[in-house]
Amino acid sequence: MAEKYTTNELMAVTASRLLRDSDNIVVGLGLPQIAAQLAKTTHAPNLNIVYEIGSINPDAIEMGVGIADPRLWYQSQYFTSFVGTMGHVLQKGMIDVGFLGALQVDKHGNLNSTHLKTSKTSTGIRHFNGSGGAADMACFSKRIMAVMKHDKRKFVDKVDFLTSVGYLDGSDSRSREGLPMCEYIKIITNLCVFGFDNEERVLAVETLHPGISVQEVIDNTGIELSIPEAVKRTDEPTEEEISLLRNQIDPLKMFI
Amino acid sequence: MKSKVMGLSEAVKEIPNEGACLALGGFAITRNPIAFVHEIIRQQKKDLDVYQTVAGMDTELLVGAGCVKKLNYTSGSLDRFGRLERINADIDQGKLDIREYSGLSLSMRFLAGAMGIPFIPTKALLGTHMLRDLIEKKDDGVRVETSPFDGEKYVYLKAIQPDIAVIHAQYADKTGNVIIEGPKWDVEMAKSAKKLYVTVEKIVSEEYIKQNVEKVAIPSLYTHAIIEVPFGAFPNAVYKVYDYDREYLIDYAKTNKNIDKYDNYLKEYVLGTKDHNEFLEKIGGLARLSNIKADPIFGYKVEVS
Repeated sequence: MAEKYTTNELMAVTASRLLRDSDNIVVGLGLPQIAAQLAKTTHAPNLNIVYEIGSINPDAIEMGVGIADPRLWYQSQYFTSFVGTMGHVLQKGMIDVGFLGALQVDKHGNLNSTHLKTSKTSTGIRHFNGSGGAADMACFSKRIMAVMKHDKRKFVDKVDFLTSVGYLDGSDSRSREGLPMCEYIKIITNLCVFGFDNEERVLAVETLHPGISVQEVIDNTGIELSIPEAVKRTDEPTEEEISLLRNQIDPLKMFI
Repeated sequence: MKSKVMGLSEAVKEIPNEGACLALGGFAITRNPIAFVHEIIRQQKKDLDVYQTVAGMDTELLVGAGCVKKLNYTSGSLDRFGRLERINADIDQGKLDIREYSGLSLSMRFLAGAMGIPFIPTKALLGTHMLRDLIEKKDDGVRVETSPFDGEKYVYLKAIQPDIAVIHAQYADKTGNVIIEGPKWDVEMAKSAKKLYVTVEKIVSEEYIKQNVEKVAIPSLYTHAIIEVPFGAFPNAVYKVYDYDREYLIDYAKTNKNIDKYDNYLKEYVLGTKDHNEFLEKIGGLARLSNIKADPIFGYKVEVS
């Protein structure tokens, strides 16, 4: 067990441990990519990493500024098109884990990466980005993970715009909508790990990060939560994991 | 074989002055047809119906210059340098008719167009607000239907065959065989168009094409025009030829936050230059450009100490 680590390091390690050897995953830049690289270096050497832009299994030696940065394509095993990655691989059902980020998540795990409501514009919205491949990943991946900073305004009852599907209105509404069913959705924050493994498909704390109190999570979540006092703690990173992150995977500390 | 080589200004003159349906091939900060887009702005084409899967500076320039009526896309950014704030501001103010898709669903509309089929089904978009809004806007690109084969619900996506597609690539020969190095997110889009315009870094010999046939992503039969424009994607990256210009993108990401600054930028750098060569001279010419040339193995600029 490592003595000292940062919250971002803990999040990267937690996400990394959820990846299994031989998983096929789609990731974007940032912590998800760091987590994938850590997993590949440790317990999951046979991980296949797919980038929506059309690159599979690169072996980058420099961090990029996004998936459109050629630094990320170095030593790729295959170049293809958007249809080649998101169609032939993801839609075909071959992706085990889709790794996402978002502006907001709601109590049923639906994600918003498009716009937020505001009173400051004539249309009542502030547009940020959009889906890209995120909605497709949430639709077709077997396991869905999102990494988000814990904030009352980010964890809300209903997302301002539903970009990527979670469990829609909860219970069996996702499958009733005709969507493929996923094995799980997990949200990894700087305070805890959330899951939805209950009948209503409602956000619930699975593990609390070391040193974090139940009250801290409640205060920073804009969704009503009931957290049992005896809730499990997130496993701490090992010395080896922290050393790999700092010295090999992200030495310039771009994301951790 | 017949040459399809054209000049940039001559190629853009072929586009109707109003209302063309135009698909662009850039992806965030890579292989954006910037020189072509600048020329569209100089020739003041209006009311464009623009398609781009993951938008970058190329579509933003057109929107900022007031050339776009409708934008069909899935997201866009300058990667970590910033957001497409001119596009966002126009959306926030209701000035731009936007049709938002997911990356796969928009790509599949191109795929259907490229295959000559009327529509293609997917479960992507089900349950999303992109689908809700497309239906609300009576967009004819989507219909929710039940498949006759498995009885399940699907979104039927209407094929698109844009009037014009523009992509930027590394090389082509004069007959229109196009080499794309690196990921080829844009090939279905390119093949779906009624007329495909390709700007390239360099026109190479037919002999070069035959010796590198495995790199040919688009054969000449799809290509309408080949336009040689060195540094035609600047300040964005072209894999194995040049890197993105970091300082330029940092400055651009400040400029696009302010409409007055942005209008001045367009006046000075786009409308104020007569062609791409003059633009490249204005931004610093060879001294600046030689500084971003890519290492041919790594594909990006590698610091040599």
